[in-house]
Amino acid sequence: MDKQLEKLISLHDLDVMIADLNRKDIRKRETEMGLHAEGALEELKELREAFCKNINRKWRGLYNQLTRHYGNAVVPALMGRCAGCLTRLPTAICSDPDRNLKIHTCPTCGRIIYWAD
Amino acid sequence: MKYAVLCKFELSAASREEAIAELLGLFPVGEKSRGLLAGALDVREKVGATVVYSSIALPHCRSILVDKLTVAVGKSQAGIPWPGEMVNTVILFVSPVKHSAPQEHSSFLGHIAGKIRNSGDRIAAAGNQDELLDLLGFQPEEQGE
Repeated sequence: MDKQLEKLISLHDLDVMIADLNRKDIRKRETEMGLHAEGALEELKELREAFCKNINRKWRGLYNQLTRHYGNAVVPALMGRCAGCLTRLPTAICSDPDRNLKIHTCPTCGRIIYWAD
Repeated sequence: MKYAVLCKFELSAASREEAIAELLGLFPVGEKSRGLLAGALDVREKVGATVVYSSIALPHCRSILVDKLTVAVGKSQAGIPWPGEMVNTVILFVSPVKHSAPQEHSSFLGHIAGKIRNSGDRIAAAGNQDELLDLLGFQPEEQGE
């Protein structure tokens, strides 16, 4: 898998973790269980800052732009379709065994696509 | 409601990282996805160890790499050093990223919290897989499901 694509997937998961800990219900549950949700949230934000510096500026810019626009920048391909907008993806890309070795974007919505292994 | 889970009653892991890798090994995903999930869970543990009760750890996250709530439960007779204390029961779960998932994630956390509140000591001391899963309100996932 393309290293930048791996980092973009990890950044997306990190953003989901941050969003979750910003949700009252999840934070309340975690606090009830004795987990330090507030402290974890602050540390996750700092980790995100540091992690972003390792991502190519071009892809980071696209990621941020897509996140602002759609709320999610990276989506899986499901049955040959973009899971974000459900557009059918080009067959040539979907059938390429090396499709994750470079970053592909959806021709319709522009989201970054990966294929689950 | 009983959640379908993956289970390994005799974990051989000697560290937190090994325990997470051993349980992720049960997940129906490829090696690359498994590595990325391990990274996400490791980040979550680094910002705050997820020991939720004496000797019970709950590593968890949400990820775009799974398409449904996936839970793996493990038990170690020897104990696993987790930051802060030794644990012998690990409940690892990863929720998907979709519109209904935050609520599903939250309600699963609530389910676990309730079970631990009511039977934490019994869960930590469970002597076999059936007892452990029953106390947690889980059932083993069918092969090939």
